[in-house]
Amino acid sequence: MVSFIAGLLDATVQAATVLLLAGMGELISERAGVLNLGVEGMMLVGALGGFITTVLTGSHWLGFGVGILLGMVLALVHAFLCITLKSNQVISGVMLTLLGTGLTTFFGSGWVEESIDGFPQMTLPLVGQYLVDIPVIGEAFFRSTATDYLALGLLLVVWYFLHHSNLGLEMIAVGEDPEMADTMGVSVFRLRYLAVLIGGGFAGAAGAHLSLAFSQLWVPGMTAGRGWIAVALVIFAQWRPRRMLIGAYLFGLLDALRIRSQSISLTLGPDAPLAGVVNPVVEFLMTPQIMGTYPYLATILVLAYAVIRTKSDQLAVPSALLQSYSRETD
Amino acid sequence: MNVAVNVDAREDIPVWLAYGTPVFTVLAALAVSAVALVVLDVNPVAAYATMFVETLFTEFGLTETLTKAVPLILTGLAVYLPLKAGLFNIGAEGQLVAGALAGTWIGLNLSLPGLALVPLMFVAAAVAGGIWAGIPAYMRAKWDVNEIITSLLLTFVALEIQSYLLRGPMQGGTGNFPQSERFSEAATIPELVSGVHAGLLVAVCMVVVTYVLMTRTRLGFEITFVGSNDEAARQAGMSKFYVYLLVFVVGGAFAAMGGISEIAGAQGRYRAGFEPGYGFTAIPIALLGRNSAFKVLLAGLFFAVLFVGGSSMEVAFGVPAALVEIIQALVILFLITAEFFKSYRVGIDIDRGPTEAPAQPQGGDD
Repeated sequence: MVSFIAGLLDATVQAATVLLLAGMGELISERAGVLNLGVEGMMLVGALGGFITTVLTGSHWLGFGVGILLGMVLALVHAFLCITLKSNQVISGVMLTLLGTGLTTFFGSGWVEESIDGFPQMTLPLVGQYLVDIPVIGEAFFRSTATDYLALGLLLVVWYFLHHSNLGLEMIAVGEDPEMADTMGVSVFRLRYLAVLIGGGFAGAAGAHLSLAFSQLWVPGMTAGRGWIAVALVIFAQWRPRRMLIGAYLFGLLDALRIRSQSISLTLGPDAPLAGVVNPVVEFLMTPQIMGTYPYLATILVLAYAVIRTKSDQLAVPSALLQSYSRETD
Repeated sequence: MNVAVNVDAREDIPVWLAYGTPVFTVLAALAVSAVALVVLDVNPVAAYATMFVETLFTEFGLTETLTKAVPLILTGLAVYLPLKAGLFNIGAEGQLVAGALAGTWIGLNLSLPGLALVPLMFVAAAVAGGIWAGIPAYMRAKWDVNEIITSLLLTFVALEIQSYLLRGPMQGGTGNFPQSERFSEAATIPELVSGVHAGLLVAVCMVVVTYVLMTRTRLGFEITFVGSNDEAARQAGMSKFYVYLLVFVVGGAFAAMGGISEIAGAQGRYRAGFEPGYGFTAIPIALLGRNSAFKVLLAGLFFAVLFVGGSSMEVAFGVPAALVEIIQALVILFLITAEFFKSYRVGIDIDRGPTEAPAQPQGGDD
């Protein structure tokens, strides 16, 4: 049981990193007023680009970088359409997800059989070698891939950037009241472009982590809706980086449970009372495919809970989200 | 010398632009997708020739196109109707799967004559698809929970349940494949003309029903009104709750009918992964045809040509049919680009005058 929990926590950390990276990118983009529903497509492009680069060069760090870059390329299209051409953000985002899925299925079909040397497990630099011996949680939290540590470090950076740096505060202002920000001399266009590009880079990183560290292989459509869960996560987090951490680990745990569930049996012994009734139900609920629905169902429930609990006037949604901005010219 | 780009709103849209836009977007999408073919060392002219000639000028190609058009038109309507009320249903895929599963279950487990069984399968499918679509609609109408995310996430739930049923309770046929038992004669949708099943009739009827609903009834007017200005609609005493629920549930029922048509008309049994994402293609179809249900029909036919052509191309050149997905996405991305040029006039002013305006200090206010 202890080894099961340790294994589960280990998988949780890796699954949570995917959501944390993608979610942070979405949070920054939405904070500046641009909804990005193309995360799933940007993740896929990052996952495939990173994977191919790693196969060709043998360097997973180079692959990770290419993944980030490709996510940003797709985000640039989104930024151009939504900011410069003032197109509908929902349509542009959904189509970029479709485009990313199509592109990676088209170009990725030949790479399914390839294998790579992805990110290795390592102890956290400086303190890891002492803390890794802590029972149950030690291995999970202090022996992980470099990208897991990177994601947690970036969360701190994002939090500081958004809430304590001038640029971050200007970005929030652009998402709340672009007219006012413009009057104050903040370039709405430039900051929105920057936010969307950063968001795309994070989505690409999330995809690259998925193919280079989490599963260390490439399968078309391997993101399996995680990009959409990241979008939901931002609402759950009420657009605040701190709550993002809790949400990412919560959903990471559900993702991990599905992967690890085969190794555990929760059925009652044949002589236990009610075994005849309970066991079939438990077996049904533990079927891999049924367990596969839990992360999605949980996302829906949590989303509903987050929205219902906070009355709409308290909801922290950026006021100018989905609104394109044009400067009044005479 | 100063160069300035002027963007002014157009007062009226020139005729050539209004009619030229769809043609331009499709051609641009095909041209850009050709780059993907070149990367894989395929001659794009030859590939597109196979794609369109074999589809449009052979009997096989035409019957295939009409067959594929059935689920595409119906799922297209499933996205179109909510779009009219200002909602995005990007979960038509899940509604299609939920409906197809329910209809298949009825088709395999009831023994009735075909005239009763096939309609019953459609009803069961429509109910299941309606319920599946009703969940995100209710959550949106009641609590304002974003329907885009929930409808999509429910697609993944439906796909997992499909996989569970076809590997477990509904598994049938020889071998251990994730598929159902074959349909009996009575549970199969009869042919309309040679090679095309009667599901096409259902699809066309639903297009007409949607058209009449949207243009000739008070309800259609309410849907459009809620979609264009929900606050004004509320003040006019219209129920947003009712409209939201209705467009989604009816849309889900449409998608489900598309699913059962494909299974009981074209496939003969439920196979896991029987369809290449009709519910996602439905989004570009609805966006392309968003002005009228008949345009959804046309867009559905066009994407059916792409689907069939994509498979011919895959066979002939060995390139993945996913090219079709790239084309679909590009069509809409170019469409929204073109819409900008439709509603704004972009001009470039080049001023060669000797007086150069002094650079404004940054952040300076007047």
